[in-house]
Amino acid sequence: MKLSSARVTRDGISNLFLIKLGVCLAIAVVFLVNYFPVAARQQPQASEFFEKQVRPILAANCQTCHNAKTKVSGLDLSSAEGFARGGEGGPVFDRARPDESRLIRVIGYGEELKMPPSGRLRDEEIRILTDWIRMGAPWPVAEAIAAPRASGASPALSAGDKAFWSFQPMVDPQPPQVKDSQWIASPIDRFILARLEKQGLTPAPAADRLTLLRRATYDLTGLPPSEAEILAFLADQSPDAFSKVVERLLASRRYGEHWGRHWLDVARYADSTGNDEDHRYPHAWRYRDWVIDAFNRDLPYDRFVREQIAGDLLEAEGDDSASGVNRSGIIATGFLALGPKALAQQDKTKMLYDVYDEQVDVTTKAFLGLTVACARCHDHKFDPISTKDYYSLVSIFSSTRSFKDPNVFVSEPLNRPLVVKSEFEKYLAAKRAYDERIKRTRYAIEAIVETAKDPAAWEAGMRLSEIMLAARRVYLEGAVEAVEARKAGLSEDALKKWIAYLKPGKPREHLLAWHNAPSEKVPGVAREYQARFENSLSEWTQKVGKWRNKYQEALALGKSPLPEKPAFEAGNDRFFAEVYFGKEGPLAVAETDEAVFSLEAREELKKLRTERDALKKQAPVEPDMACAVEDGEIVNQKVFIRGDYHNPGEGVPKGFPRILTSTMRERDVQGGSGRRQLAQWITKPEHPLTARVMVNRIWGWHFGDGLVRTTDNFGRMGEQPTHPELLDYLARQFIRSGWSVKALHRMIMLSSAYQMSSLPSDSSLTKDPDNRLLSHFNRRRLSVEEMRDGLLAIDGSLDLQMGGTLQSGTGTDGENDNKRLSLNPERLNRRTVYLPLRRANLPALLNLFDFGDATTVNGKRQLTNVATQALFWLNSEFLAERSQNLARSLLAGKTTDDAQIVRRAYLRILNRRPSPDEVASARKYLAGYRAKFVRGKKRLDAWASLSRVLMATNDFNYVD
Amino acid sequence: MDPLTSLYYRQEIPTSRRAWLRAAGLGFGSLSLSALLASETLGRILDEQQTNPLAARPPHFVPKAKRVIFLFMHGGPSSIDTFDPKERLVRDHGRPLPITRPLAFDKSTPGPLMKSPWEFRPGGKSGIPVSDLFPYVRECADDLCVIRSMVGEGVDHGAALLQTFTGTSTFIRPSLGSWVLYGLGTENQNLPGFIAIKPSLAHGGAKNWSSGFLPGAFQGTPIGHAGRKVDEISKEPIEYLVNKRSADEQRYEIELLQNINRRHEALRRSDPQLEARIQAFELAFRMQTEAPEAFLVDKETKATKKLYGLDDPLTADFGWQCLLARRLAERGVRFIQCTHSYKWDQHSELYNLHTQNAREVDKPISGLLKDLKTRGLLKDTLVVWAGEFGRTPVSQGGDGRDHNPYGYSIWMAGGGVKGGFIYGATDEIGYHAAEDRMHIHDFHATLLYLLGLDHERLTFRNSGRDFRLTDVAGVVAKKIVV
Repeated sequence: MKLSSARVTRDGISNLFLIKLGVCLAIAVVFLVNYFPVAARQQPQASEFFEKQVRPILAANCQTCHNAKTKVSGLDLSSAEGFARGGEGGPVFDRARPDESRLIRVIGYGEELKMPPSGRLRDEEIRILTDWIRMGAPWPVAEAIAAPRASGASPALSAGDKAFWSFQPMVDPQPPQVKDSQWIASPIDRFILARLEKQGLTPAPAADRLTLLRRATYDLTGLPPSEAEILAFLADQSPDAFSKVVERLLASRRYGEHWGRHWLDVARYADSTGNDEDHRYPHAWRYRDWVIDAFNRDLPYDRFVREQIAGDLLEAEGDDSASGVNRSGIIATGFLALGPKALAQQDKTKMLYDVYDEQVDVTTKAFLGLTVACARCHDHKFDPISTKDYYSLVSIFSSTRSFKDPNVFVSEPLNRPLVVKSEFEKYLAAKRAYDERIKRTRYAIEAIVETAKDPAAWEAGMRLSEIMLAARRVYLEGAVEAVEARKAGLSEDALKKWIAYLKPGKPREHLLAWHNAPSEKVPGVAREYQARFENSLSEWTQKVGKWRNKYQEALALGKSPLPEKPAFEAGNDRFFAEVYFGKEGPLAVAETDEAVFSLEAREELKKLRTERDALKKQAPVEPDMACAVEDGEIVNQKVFIRGDYHNPGEGVPKGFPRILTSTMRERDVQGGSGRRQLAQWITKPEHPLTARVMVNRIWGWHFGDGLVRTTDNFGRMGEQPTHPELLDYLARQFIRSGWSVKALHRMIMLSSAYQMSSLPSDSSLTKDPDNRLLSHFNRRRLSVEEMRDGLLAIDGSLDLQMGGTLQSGTGTDGENDNKRLSLNPERLNRRTVYLPLRRANLPALLNLFDFGDATTVNGKRQLTNVATQALFWLNSEFLAERSQNLARSLLAGKTTDDAQIVRRAYLRILNRRPSPDEVASARKYLAGYRAKFVRGKKRLDAWASLSRVLMATNDFNYVD
Repeated sequence: MDPLTSLYYRQEIPTSRRAWLRAAGLGFGSLSLSALLASETLGRILDEQQTNPLAARPPHFVPKAKRVIFLFMHGGPSSIDTFDPKERLVRDHGRPLPITRPLAFDKSTPGPLMKSPWEFRPGGKSGIPVSDLFPYVRECADDLCVIRSMVGEGVDHGAALLQTFTGTSTFIRPSLGSWVLYGLGTENQNLPGFIAIKPSLAHGGAKNWSSGFLPGAFQGTPIGHAGRKVDEISKEPIEYLVNKRSADEQRYEIELLQNINRRHEALRRSDPQLEARIQAFELAFRMQTEAPEAFLVDKETKATKKLYGLDDPLTADFGWQCLLARRLAERGVRFIQCTHSYKWDQHSELYNLHTQNAREVDKPISGLLKDLKTRGLLKDTLVVWAGEFGRTPVSQGGDGRDHNPYGYSIWMAGGGVKGGFIYGATDEIGYHAAEDRMHIHDFHATLLYLLGLDHERLTFRNSGRDFRLTDVAGVVAKKIVV
């Protein structure tokens, strides 16, 4: 608070404002309901102040000379110890009289010794350093060396680094003893209850059965339970009724669609490149389908990880082992391949290293919960990850290909064939031959068109000035068109075209001379245009003639590829380009202008067109392809100082972060890109992060929050686990079960902890308002997929077809073409997970309901509640359609008893039975609706209205 | 009793934070709209901060501007043909480029130096030179703060747009407007706080007005997109804004909805997220009632429409955008983007197409500046005119210019910047910024400063670190501030 006030005062603000701000801040502190804008406006802690304000100044201005190695004047300003020690001139910091500290004096430039020697620091920087010294020069314990080292030498790992919780080997904890053993349904419960008992809290009672069914069904499948499922569950009074439900849900293919989607958030899945031109990834969907299938068949998580990093390099399994192509393995590497890319970036080296960076980022965050990519320009500020560690990983990806050819103007991402090499080569040869044949017919057609056009062009060329003058007389002086046409020896039609072209209109620089010429000079100017035109025409004719000879020769000799037709450089003579080539130019002749051609030419054109159409039908079909990576040339990677590839430092071997290998003895990777070794290293059972990170993700998707709440960050800036032993216990069990995700679901869902009510007790609200100790279940809003798919399921229109792609086309589209938009989810009935995602323009509905941005690992969506969302519930066609459909289906039943229909509506939408007063209020509503509104005359509309209301309720939108 | 209904039979009094607030008289469930907008009470801040992320929040210090209108010229207008005259180009027209060419978009051999085909003339009392491309804007020269030393990093449109709107040319980050909304909230809850009028779909598309890793509430709300026609957009400017049934019927539905929601909430001992969604419906209902009026550009007087060029098909589209921007600014929308989409990319036909483009926007822009001034809005509305980069002093393909992010001009007006002022300079040929270099980070820092936000304190924690719009850079150009 003090710090902020001091800074606010510096900005020269009235006291009144200060007080107001103070009040707000005070409120913010008191009511920190983990609400973001307030939280983010908190005071920067001293360490943050140091990291963000002070360290950069020291790094940029002092540490080049005063570092641990060079220590100019015996002074090291790169560490707390060095700073405290001072230099040959004595201490730099005077705790008793901070203002007189030597550091303050020399940077003030008031004394003989002036630092830095290159020039006085900016006032602002001096102020920051002074503030810092006055604060007592706090230097955070989280020591890291900010300045990058050209030498590539890694900093020593401190004891603190090594002792950090998430780098420790997993322990094998025994579930603790608890007082209330009645509550224990699973070992998980012991860990939860032990903590609760310690805090004097009791777990919430068990949830109602239907609440639990709804919770479990949305949780595992992203869909509501059906009426039949509800009734069956209510009827089943056996003790393992819920366990049967869990099994049924896990066996449903809807399960993989829902949990696959969770993983796709982590894999920042989308169907296009996003940045700049947003080119489609036409084959990315195969990765999506692979993920869904992997969850459905409970592919062991270690294999799941290995395939995504290096599936193409692993031994094929199942069907793939017989076919000779590891389809599944290749497809899985889509994880690395489908990230955001800037294909039109012209600094191609930068583009490539941005891609490698993105691959390091997604790999380390997704599997390890580490933000390794922070170490691209400098050592990680908080975690013991050096730039050398970072480039050791980059080295693996820089030896991996993600592009067909990065060095073309717009780079092309790599697609890999899913057939054996020989078959693909056969296809390529057929494609080449096909392209040549298409080109041949195109040139042949063009030749006929040109033959028809050229005489007119030559004639126009020779009499251009005459034509221009005639046109001018018509458009400027009102002369009679027919007369002028005759004089100029043109058809009236032809003259019309010239007039349209020559008269002033849109700005055209090359016609300025013509339009601006004073009338006495007009004939002269016209002659100049003619001369230039004739000149360009003859140059072009020669050029194209030369090409034609070569082309004919190549054709006769059966050479391939045939020489390409030259292009005219329009910028050199825009007038000629428009007149001669322009599709709307005065000389334009189209292939379809029948009248222009001789009978013979017409016949020939017809023949060629038929040939072309027939040919197109026989276009060779591309074999199945995948958006994937493959091993490339092995790169001897260097550290790039400050992340700048122009500034390479020492070479680094391929390898893994040292903090994680010090105990695991695997550092250097030989042979290939190193992806295989990376995959193996990550999935070693003793890896301290892999299993922990995944069980935490799964826990988080079940409970709303992970045991480590920062699911994508297990580093220092992440949170500590609320139940460290439970985390390790789950991780151990996960590995023991053969990395079975489904086994973990079972263990979690059959626990009492999972089956608690979401109602907090008084003591839990006061003692643990954030519910970190899990004294009750966390209520959560439906995700946009659950909401949309749920509504479609409720009205019976959900299309459950699985897999495949709804995206068509390749490449990108015109800049403001509607095709740049993703398909509209409101007009489709497939599950949301199957809708293609154009990354730059995600579906508006998904944006509106907090889907996230599909560009970076997103282990937990941030949900907001805003008015523009509520508008969807009030006015969308989608909801109108859903409620109409549902009303129709409700009224189609045998019963005509309104009360019974209301009960069915509740069951289908809210998955519970209404209380009598709810039934009464619904009936009152229907009656009122019928009485009040014209539309209420139709029974259907009244029921649609009620359905719409129920669909819009918090009751539907939240899961207890 | 059937267990599934037990919850609904339970009668108990919620003892929640909200209930406490109500008891203390601080709830706002019963406050009227005007009270909601006008009050600066403790209760409002408290309650809204919890339930409405878009509630207005105090800035870090006294702001110069309350809102921004960003006029984006997509494609990259040429500075040396608009606001940065270069005599050397006239003198050395046709000579080869005297320096080593920096990374270009088109890597083929560069053409020779090419002088501007337009005359520059001084405008206003300040005499700021503006080329004949912008005769109307020239009339407002005394309001312009021309920055001639902009520097970006993107040589291609995608990177340059992303950096202009998000600060980074490489990654996906929250956009400028989202940061502003996150920092300040918005004044009028009946309209979205960040509106992008007819934004481009290309070169990052929605990423240029999206909230990135900030919560979705801070994303820009698009009004159509650049590929759609104004008439079409006007029918439903904001998605789902139009109630196609009768208002009575809708109100009738909302009453039942909110009753069910209130009961649902009470039975659950209250929950801020449930309360937030209940409030969102109240706001939505008011938004739906009051927002459409903001889009009724047609209601303006004939004279006003003429001022913006709505009477001429050439200027009607951008004129509509500018006039709508004024109407939104007037109603307290925090951040408004207008886009003249992807027109300015003259790799060829510089003269023809720049002339055409300038004609489409010149009158609307000057209309906006004059209108804002007349209404007393210019003093606290910051107007920014910018492309994603400028263009090269050498020709490309005979009659065009390539991209140039190394030194280009933008201008600002109103909202606390000095009018009739030129800041920074490029080198003799207009290729590189030479004096008072203003990197896009500096521009962002300055823009936030004008809005009362310290760019170093406006942070958001994401995947383990605090992010800023300005990354680790950005210096406020205090010289341009009044």
